[in-house]
Amino acid sequence: VTPSLRLFMLTAHILSSVGLLGAIAAFLALSITGLTSQDALTVRGVYLAMDLIARLVIVPLAFAALLTGVVQSLGTPWGLFRHYWVLLKLLLTVFATTVLLLKMELIRYVANRAASTTLSSADLHDARLQLVVHAAGGLLVLLVPVVLSVYKPRGMTRYGARKLREQRVLSQSHVRVRLGLSRPKRTLAPINGQGS
Amino acid sequence: VADPPLEPAHTTPRWVKIFGVVVIVLAVLMVILHLTGNSFGGHAIFDHPPSSSSGTARGVLSW
Repeated sequence: VTPSLRLFMLTAHILSSVGLLGAIAAFLALSITGLTSQDALTVRGVYLAMDLIARLVIVPLAFAALLTGVVQSLGTPWGLFRHYWVLLKLLLTVFATTVLLLKMELIRYVANRAASTTLSSADLHDARLQLVVHAAGGLLVLLVPVVLSVYKPRGMTRYGARKLREQRVLSQSHVRVRLGLSRPKRTLAPINGQGS
Repeated sequence: VADPPLEPAHTTPRWVKIFGVVVIVLAVLMVILHLTGNSFGGHAIFDHPPSSSSGTARGVLSW
């Protein structure tokens, strides 16, 4: 992977992730307005807009963030499963995207009802409250990957530690070969730290 | 004589353990809320369909 391609993927990942957060924040603001507003036209417009934002902005950005994150991690020494912070980012994004997809039907349902009838404050109150709760929860969950990306807390997974050991053994054996201390056939074999 | 290990024994960082505990507590809370019928209207949506439910709505209600 060339440095310019890596930089491009990083830019795409940041744009999609931060854009996703902004879109969910807008969705949350609309869902609160839809729940609390007394104006029927406002309520109708809000739920139609929420449906559009969810389908055309949030879902595509969620998949873009997921895809660019995976590609980005595989193209750098960080890897996808080597460091706890990268692994947690992946799990949180997959979890949030799954919940989002599960709630798409509910979003569409409320939008359809808002379009076909005039919703009073009591109509679909529980469903509308659910949209507020899930938008707030999604926003909170997706803030964690941002914090993890900035702080990059230390800690390798068991898999990452094993891979690092293998790489060090390999690099040590290459140095020995260059110095003429041993032949490559003897030094490349062990990968468990028990070699001679 | 075997070489010393190149890396110290693998240990899970404290922040990962704390994170795991928080996730487990939240999951248990969600399960309790769901079982007690206080999961932010989840049961109410399914149990009390609006009178003008359409075919699409029925799919949501039986979810």
